[in-house]
Amino acid sequence: MAALPKRIIKETERLSKEPVPGISAVPHDDNLRYFDVTIDGPAQSPYEGTLLPPFGGVFKLELFLPDDYPMTPPKVRFLTKIYHPNIDRLGRICLDVLKSNWSPALQIRTILLSIQALLGAPNPDDPLANDVAQQWKEDQNQAIATAKEWTEKFAKA
Amino acid sequence: MKFGQLFKETLRNEGFPPEWIESALSYSQLKKCINRLSTELSELGLDPDTLGKLLKHVEDYNAAADQSDDRARPFEYILDDSEDEDGTGEKKPRKTFQPKLVFHVDEVTGALHSAQLDEKTKRKLQMLAVETGMTELRVFEEPDNQETPSHPTVASANSPKNRPGYRKIEIPLTSDTEFFTKLTAELSGLEALQKREEQRMHGEIQSLGRQIAHLTDPDRRSNKKLLSVWRQIFQLYLEEGIFFGTTESDHSAHDAAKAQERFNDFCEKLRTSGLSERLKKKENIEAFNTFMNINQEILQGLRFGEINETAMKKILKKFDKRTALGVKATVPKQITYPSFSSHLAKAVCAEVSTEILSHVPQIEDYACPMCMEIKWRPVRLGCGHVFCIRCLIVMQNNKQDRCPLCREQTVANANSDNLDEELAQYLKKWFPDEVKEKQRYNELMAGVDQYGEVYKEKCCVM
Repeated sequence: MAALPKRIIKETERLSKEPVPGISAVPHDDNLRYFDVTIDGPAQSPYEGTLLPPFGGVFKLELFLPDDYPMTPPKVRFLTKIYHPNIDRLGRICLDVLKSNWSPALQIRTILLSIQALLGAPNPDDPLANDVAQQWKEDQNQAIATAKEWTEKFAKA
Repeated sequence: MKFGQLFKETLRNEGFPPEWIESALSYSQLKKCINRLSTELSELGLDPDTLGKLLKHVEDYNAAADQSDDRARPFEYILDDSEDEDGTGEKKPRKTFQPKLVFHVDEVTGALHSAQLDEKTKRKLQMLAVETGMTELRVFEEPDNQETPSHPTVASANSPKNRPGYRKIEIPLTSDTEFFTKLTAELSGLEALQKREEQRMHGEIQSLGRQIAHLTDPDRRSNKKLLSVWRQIFQLYLEEGIFFGTTESDHSAHDAAKAQERFNDFCEKLRTSGLSERLKKKENIEAFNTFMNINQEILQGLRFGEINETAMKKILKKFDKRTALGVKATVPKQITYPSFSSHLAKAVCAEVSTEILSHVPQIEDYACPMCMEIKWRPVRLGCGHVFCIRCLIVMQNNKQDRCPLCREQTVANANSDNLDEELAQYLKKWFPDEVKEKQRYNELMAGVDQYGEVYKEKCCVM
């Protein structure tokens, strides 16, 4: 395999030396372009963990840096099931900076922060999971309750 | 160990300059002051218990009255500080406090407008009220009383703010005044000391800065090798973040203990890297030692500031315990401790970085935001953002025509006119090795663009 570009080495170093609070990203030993990621659900959101068991609120994701990164965006996907209007059942994420609004000056850490922010601000007007988005618009309280339930059930540390 | 003793020992053992020790808070004298005050108060029948009750009563009363206005307060403790700032924004010299106890007493019966006092205090207060305030005639006598020291005097006045039907009685507290006068004077002393220290270090830092500039001047041939040594030393120093954190999780000023720990860490890394040994010439070694000394001095300043700040907190706590006057909550707003950590250290650290470190540019500041390698050759887009030529060529080939930083459509029409020659000269001068390496890489990739991946393989064989 081709040598790892300096940019990826630098990003990886900084991620481990100065981790973003509430976010971790660790590369696989055998493929340094593949990262295991966890993101803590933001406080005061339905994805927040509880102080007492079952705690929860920790979401697992996978992140892959394609060959032409950073000219093309990283590929990111939720592995933990999540009830969110912009994330579908396969874990795919609808977020502009991961697609049309990607810029080569963005980084792994900035993208993960954007995803964490998306958990804090669901946007049912630009849905990926149509059923969830509809529920969100029709009965927001019920949707938030379901999101909390799923968080407790699936997003365990 | 008692704090007073600990304080004394720390001052003695830390190796502070004698001038500093003289300016330190005189903890034990302030303590004696408190003792006198508590005697004074108990002579009035206001032992901590009674006062505590009284103040609690007032607090409840105020809470109930929803802080309406001070007419309703039957009793208060005033740290006289009425004209605070005069709108010019300039800090006035610290004022002398004239602490007073104020009671509101019913004009007709002489009963205190406070239900929570025990009988003894009530009697005493009634007596005081009758003694001084109840007839118009007596009111005019008060100015003489003011001067009598040691024995608390009672003065009464009818301020327009007073509750109708109530009379205001003020009891100046002599020892209290003494305590705060002393405390403020000492704090001013500490502030002055800090100013002097700051100025002294300012001089030291500037002269070291000039020396470093001289020693790392890339136009002098003899400096060629040392430039990168100094750069690496400073890089280690910056990465360590000794006095201030620069990351998301650690972004504030460090206390003395943490700064010391980081500094030791830095020394250790220097040792293992063997960088300091590579400074062979006398003038380089001297400059290095001065640099380390300045850091030691900042650390010492931090420690001195911290121990004095603790002393102040402790003495105010003691004050409250002995007198129940509750100053701890109100005083910090009026007397602020001139903190080393937020003042001296910050100012000095800022200077270290502008006057010393800035003479040796770091590669981080000249890295392309896309490849994170040196911006060689530097291309300045129409929007003003600079990237390395290689990344922009790749973008143009991909038809990605927006600036990665501002999304302005400036990539598409960039051409050789956008080469930043001035920056190129600068990079060549300060980062000769990095520029060479990147130049080789750029040429290789240009070949790949032209002839395909095979070019790379051939090149490796050759």
